[in-house]
Parts: sequence; C-alpha cells; structure tokens
Amino acid sequence: MLSIDNLQASVADKPILRGISLEIKAGEVHAIMGPNGSGKSTLSNVLAGRENVRVTGGKVTYRGKDLLAMEVEERAREGVFLAFQYPVEIPGVGNVYLLKAALNAQRKHRGLPELDAMDFLALVKDKMKLMEMNESMLYRAVNEGFSGGEKKRNEILQMAVLEPHLSILDETDSGLDIDALKIVANGVNSLRSPERSMILVTHYQRLLDYIQPDFVHVLAGGRIVRSGGPELAHELEREGYAWIGDAQSQTVAAQ
Amino acid sequence: MNPFVEYCQSQLALRVAEAPSQEASRHSAWARFENVGWPTTRLEAWKYTSLAGLEKITPPTESFAELTWDFLKDHALLPDAKHRMVFIDGVFHEGLSRLDRLPQGVRIGPWSLLQDAERSDLVPRLMPAQTMTAFGALNEALFTDGAVIQVSGGAHLDEPLLLLHVTRGMHHGVQYVHLGENSEMTVVEQHLNLTDLPCHGNFATAIQLSPHSRLTWIKVQQGGAQSYHTAAVHAQQQQGSQLRYFPFALSGAMGRNDITIRLVETHAEVILKGVYQVADRSLQDFHTSIEHDCPECISDECFKGVLDGTGRAVFDGRVRVALDAQKTQSRQSNHNLLLSDKAEVDTKPQLEIFADDVKCSHGTTVGQLDETQWFYLRSRGVDKEVARTLLIKAFVKEIAEAVPHVEVRQALLHWLGTEEEEGFRHV
Repeated sequence: MLSIDNLQASVADKPILRGISLEIKAGEVHAIMGPNGSGKSTLSNVLAGRENVRVTGGKVTYRGKDLLAMEVEERAREGVFLAFQYPVEIPGVGNVYLLKAALNAQRKHRGLPELDAMDFLALVKDKMKLMEMNESMLYRAVNEGFSGGEKKRNEILQMAVLEPHLSILDETDSGLDIDALKIVANGVNSLRSPERSMILVTHYQRLLDYIQPDFVHVLAGGRIVRSGGPELAHELEREGYAWIGDAQSQTVAAQ
Repeated sequence: MNPFVEYCQSQLALRVAEAPSQEASRHSAWARFENVGWPTTRLEAWKYTSLAGLEKITPPTESFAELTWDFLKDHALLPDAKHRMVFIDGVFHEGLSRLDRLPQGVRIGPWSLLQDAERSDLVPRLMPAQTMTAFGALNEALFTDGAVIQVSGGAHLDEPLLLLHVTRGMHHGVQYVHLGENSEMTVVEQHLNLTDLPCHGNFATAIQLSPHSRLTWIKVQQGGAQSYHTAAVHAQQQQGSQLRYFPFALSGAMGRNDITIRLVETHAEVILKGVYQVADRSLQDFHTSIEHDCPECISDECFKGVLDGTGRAVFDGRVRVALDAQKTQSRQSNHNLLLSDKAEVDTKPQLEIFADDVKCSHGTTVGQLDETQWFYLRSRGVDKEVARTLLIKAFVKEIAEAVPHVEVRQALLHWLGTEEEEGFRHV
C-alpha cells in the first residue's frame, strides 16, 4: 500500500524529517507516536502534499506510484485521505457541497459516473447516522462554528463518504471528550477492512484503547526510533517519552 | 479637448436640434460641465481613477444587428421578467419591453414618451443626481431617454421591474423613481454591452422615497474589454422609508459609481451592499456617501472586492452624521481579496460624526486567498482551480445572499457560480 523510503523533509529550511522508512501493507493500522516537535504532523502533511513542506530526499511509493510526484488533489482522488488535526473552517462553502464535489471528483477520476443529488444524499445521510451527526450540519458552511468534537466527526464523515485506501488521522483524538472519542473511534473502526490501511498519528495512547493498531512506531527528532506491536503504546503510556533522548543517541551511535 | 469630449460636444448639437425646447437647459448644463472641467487624477475624487482610457474613445462605426428578446433573454438577469424596459443604445425599445401588466397605481414609462409639461416638471427632480460630478453635467446636457417610475401611495409592484440597458456606443440615460407613501417595489437594473468595442454609458438616477415606502434595487454591470460605465445615484429618504441597494460591478474596462443617500427624516433605513470584481486592465470605483440628517436612522453598508491580475479598485465611503442626528446607527465595512501581486485597491472610509449619541462602526480589510482553506479543499480531491473559484465565490456570496428577492438572489448566486449548492437545499 505505502512504502516510505528514507524520507527527508524541511519546513522553512529547517530539517524536520531526517530519514523515515516505513512499510504499510493493505489492511494494516499503524500508530505513529512521539513527543511534540518530533515531526509527526510534518509526516502527515508530506503524505497529503502540503506545499509548505519541502521534500529534500527519499521517496514514497503509494500503490505502485510515486506519491510525491502527485498533486494534492490527485493524491486524494487516488484514495489518500488526511483527517486534519485542526479541520479548517470555510465560511461560504457548504459542507454538503464539499462532500459532493469531493466524491464526484474521485468517481470521475476512477471512471465512475457522478452520483446525482438523490443518491448522494442517501449515502451521506447513512454515514451521518454512523457518526451520530445531525443532518442540519450538512447545510452549514464547512466546519464554521463547529465545536472541536463536531469538526473531528466531520472529518471522519468525509472519510466514510470517500472510503479512502489510505487514511492518515492526524491527532484525531486531540480535543475530544470521551463520548466524542468513542463515536470517532467507532466510525474509524467501521472503515477497517483488508483493503484499507490507516496511519494514526497521536501523542497519547488513549485513542489506541479504542482503535487497536497492528504496529506502533515512535518518532523522535525526525526519525523512527522504535517500532513494535500494540504493547509498545502501553509502555509509552507508562514510561513517557523521556527515554527517547537515550534511544536517539543510540541510533546516532549505531549509524 | 480630448476625443471623448469632442464627440460629446457633437452630440449636444444633435440633442438640441431634436428638441429645441430643451436648448436652454442643455446648454447651461454643458456650460456647467466646461466649468467643472474634465476630471483628472489631480482631483481628490479622481485621485486613483484615471480616465486616460475613456478620453481616447469614440463610438464604433459598425452597425449592429437588430436585437431580439430571444437573444437578450440569455443574458438577462431575469429572463422571464413580467415587467421590463429595454434601452438599446440609450433609447427605449418598445418592442423588446413589456409594460402591459402593471398593477394599478404603478406608472412606468420612458422619458421620451412624456409630455413636455411633465418633462419640465421632472427636470428639477433629476437634478440632484446630475449636479454631483462632471459626468452629471454631461448627463444633463446629453441624455437621450430613461425610465420614469412613479408608484402611488399604498401601491405595490408584484414582481421586479427589469431595466435592461444595452450600450454599444456612447450614451447618456436617466432613471427617475418616486415611491408614494407606504408603497413598494423591486428594480433590477442591468447593463450589458455585448461587444469588445469601445463604448460608454453614463447614467443618472434620482430616487425619492416617501414615508414608509420600500425600494429594493439591484444593479448589475457587465461589459467587454473597452466598456466604460459611469453612474450617479441620488436617493432621498423620508420617514420610515427603506432602501436596499445592491450594486454588482462584475466586468468591463472601467466603472465609476457615485452613490449618495440622504436620510432626511427619522427612522429611515438604508442597506447598501455591493460587490466589485476586477481583472487585468480593469478598474471599478465606488464613491458612496450616506448622510444622516435626522435622528434615529439606520445605515448598513458593506462592499466586497475581488481583484485579480493588474485589476484596480477604489472604495471611498463617506458617512456623515449631522449634529442633531442622535441615535444614529451606522455600520460600514469594505473587504478586499487580492489574488495577485499586481492588483491594487485604494480604500478610504470617511466618518464625519457631529452627533454624540450614536452607534457607528467601520472596518476595512485587504487579504489574500487563505492557503490553508485552499489546501483543505484540494486535499479532498477538489480541483486546484475549482477550489480557488469556490473560495472566491464564498467570499462575495454573503452580499448576494442579502438580496431579499428569491429569484434575483438565485440568479445572482448562479452568476457567482454557487448555484449547485443552492439547488441542493431543495432536494
């Protein structure tokens, strides 16, 4: 599904990712954890194609194609989805309009007929039930005046409608109370399938209580310093990230 | 004398020959124009608006095909307007117009069909719109025709009146509106030129609102690469009257609107909300003046501009609150979206407040397209250009949405490119 090979990237000429390699197979859920400033969000942004991040080395192959060569919108249509840490408010653009434009752009890209308004609404309303969202949110502007929880639910709603092959959830748990977290996790879990892969970027282990990852990676100083199974997340929760300083120097020494 | 003024002068002789009874008034207006002089950027009111393009033009010598309603309706904001007046090259066109279904108490007709006595009566009423600028004086000296709208007390025009002006040469027109007490109507004024040849339309509109009357006016300017438009509007509002004026300057080489609204009795309200958009080598200029002469009136003004390429815009918004206009409520804002490094907007709010118990606010912003919003839309698969357009439309949509008449609002939203979303609401 996704193969990241020695990826290096800078933001404003400051190196943030210093050689990341990661292999994600279809159906796998990978959690990427790490302290603030470790490069977690930069990694999400590189994969989605954010232009303020400059790739300085390495390559990323997505379903056999060079991901980094694709435009932002092309990645989306090919099935890459980024759930934003801070979903953007867009006054004047209706939520339903964005959903329909997004879905039809993807269908057109894949040679499928566009959905008409009726079929589309039926589909969206179905997915909204899953996310326990009120239909009136469809007719509001994108994320405008939404609470933190509503914004995150709206992200997962978009994900449920677009049914991406690869989802990157950037700090989706931040700012959620426990009830909202459960709804969001439930939405994400319902999308798990053998064909679909996910990357969960998170600071805390909390989200992983509800979405069980197959692999956990610890990111620090722009590198993956440790990888393991779900038990690694519990270890981090117990011991925090303080040990990373040592791990980092060991990695450097090993190189 | 520049080619434009030379041409104007040649028209003066023609106008006088057509109607010798108007000789004195036309000549005195021309003298006033000469006295004021051709506006240059040395004048404060024209500091950012150069007329260098306009002063070089003379009307095209081509002859144009006869227009049919079948052709025009594809361009009309209200293709099915129940009531409409069409002016082609400054002259009322009876065959294209439709005024046979007016309700009782509503009198609408062209200036050219009025009796002499009635014209003499109306001339001074047009004056406030013609005295403001050099173009006002030119208008008075040269105007050929116009719309005269008189609504009696309590009358109500059931559907909007479309005033469609097609200008392919160089013309001057007038519009006169008088609403009687507690009467109501909606006007859609649309300017088209339908060619890329040089043309200029110059309009003067005088509006008088009797107590508790309600007028909604939507103006849309569209023009080609060498289309120039100048217009002055003067509205006078009596007690409790309500004016909602929505100008949309969408295209054309240059547009200049001078809008003056005088609130002369208590509890009058005005909403003035407009959009200007400019691209390469085009300019739109709005000079507005809202005058609170009396206590307890309300004004709500908002202009939004979209500037692309080498486009330029000017917003000069004056609000004056007289010494005894206590309890005035006034809001003014001007927001601009710059899409290019070469675009320029000169915005100048001017609040002159002499009363002490008032609520007045104003604000101006100049910004660029929000990169984060753009990225967000693209990250959902929306095409780069579509996403950009969507954000531009979103920026100006608020103004179209303030238009109270459903059909007009839908048509405007359609033109602003967001109709699909609107359509959704009806599923």
